[in-house]
Amino acid sequence: MNPMILFILLFSLAMGTITTLSSYHWLLAWIGLEINTMAIIPIITKKHHPRATEAATKYFLTQTAASTLILLSSTLNAWTTGQWTITELHHPLAMMMLTLAVAMKLGLAPTHFWLPEVMQGTTIKTALLLTTWQKIAPLTFIYLTSNHLSTKMLFTLGLLSVMLGGITGLNQTQTRKIMAYSSIAHMGWLTMILTLNLNLMTFTLMLYITMTTSSFMILLMSESKTMTDLGLAWTTSPTSMLLLMLSLLSLGGLPPLSGFMPKLLILKEMTMLNMISMSTILALSALPSLFFYLRLSYLMLMTIPPTTTTTEHKWRHKNNTLKITAQLFIITTTLLPITPLVNKIL
Amino acid sequence: MSYFLFLFLLCFALAIIGVASNPSPFYGVIGLVMAAFFGCAVLVGFGSSFVSLVLFLIYLGGMLVVFVYSIAMSAEAYPKTWGDFLVILYVFGFAFLILVFSFIFEVSDIMGSLTVDNVGLYVIRMDFGGVMLLYSIGGPVLLLCGFGLLLVLFVVLELTRGLARGALRIV
Repeated sequence: MNPMILFILLFSLAMGTITTLSSYHWLLAWIGLEINTMAIIPIITKKHHPRATEAATKYFLTQTAASTLILLSSTLNAWTTGQWTITELHHPLAMMMLTLAVAMKLGLAPTHFWLPEVMQGTTIKTALLLTTWQKIAPLTFIYLTSNHLSTKMLFTLGLLSVMLGGITGLNQTQTRKIMAYSSIAHMGWLTMILTLNLNLMTFTLMLYITMTTSSFMILLMSESKTMTDLGLAWTTSPTSMLLLMLSLLSLGGLPPLSGFMPKLLILKEMTMLNMISMSTILALSALPSLFFYLRLSYLMLMTIPPTTTTTEHKWRHKNNTLKITAQLFIITTTLLPITPLVNKIL
Repeated sequence: MSYFLFLFLLCFALAIIGVASNPSPFYGVIGLVMAAFFGCAVLVGFGSSFVSLVLFLIYLGGMLVVFVYSIAMSAEAYPKTWGDFLVILYVFGFAFLILVFSFIFEVSDIMGSLTVDNVGLYVIRMDFGGVMLLYSIGGPVLLLCGFGLLLVLFVVLELTRGLARGALRIV
């Protein structure tokens, strides 16, 4: 791709999301969303292959349908209430349409099937974009309207996402698809906490983005596309495999790592609101996700052949790790001790 | 105007059924054109004549391309019309659904309350306020929309770039 075109596309990708983030009017937010969607499509097809084109088509169709739903719901709201402010979403039908549209954009459970397929069709870098930056704009909508959204509906969507993201991820062998299912499950956690505590939702999103980015950095460095690739990836760099294991377990939410913190705080918040059975179900639904993270870790670090090892380190190291990986890993693994501080701020 | 609006909405629904009932693509495109036409007529009924005109011209300009494309893509010897068994099944199914939904959501109430029952210049008064805003305080939004369209141009050019660099080619 021409660097100039790439610059325009990345600029618009950033600008679309920022327009959505900084708007109070439905139409302006929608324009931002559309600019964002348009800009990512050539980035998805950057690797010129029918798979990538197919992925871009799938992405375009789902995102356009969802955008149209958002436009419809905002128009309906403006029609019945006479104003276009995002935070004043009063019509129940418009509220439901918006929730469903955002669920489709985020890849929440009943409408999540596009996400793994699109991610499988693109490069690892684009998959990283799809799981992190592309989540921000849709989440803005439900962040701004969270006072009017139906808690029951969001709970249904969230719980379904956490369950299905975990269970359908069990059968996958491709790392990008596993990351997609992990993303679905995490988006489920976000929607569960959305109407209960907005700051906690934002914090969870920030930490999720950090953890996913650090995992993707190592996948990118070792070019591991499947589980089989991960099995031999230690020859590239054993240290980074250890780090990948830690970041995956952090995504799964194991205690000494920082991924445990948002889960703990969410469950605490729900327990404080006397939703004990719901929080128990939520905590148990995180177990299948943990299982596939554990399986990845097991395959890449904890198995060695029962013979003398025939594989050695690659003698020529291609050092293509981005510099930011180190900082991301510090946040991903060691943030747990500041939990009291975060708890106080939230 | 209410009676006109009722007629337009009915034709709009029929045209959409014509697209959705899965005939051959070029019949479907005819349905789409009719839906565009009657949709614009409904907009006039609600009092936005300028938006309706713009939509009609631009949409039909785009539809022309879609029309040519669909005819080029689907050269069938025996195209399915709206008279075929499966298609007509869809037609009646969708018509039934529309009736049910219009009873549930009480469409007739909405329609009676929103028409512009005036004549002359009053018919064209509603949407010019918005158009005017685009050239005064809404200038930045106009610029943003223009930038969005420019971006779409770049995106389409990048996707359909020729030779070995485009996305639409055989590998």
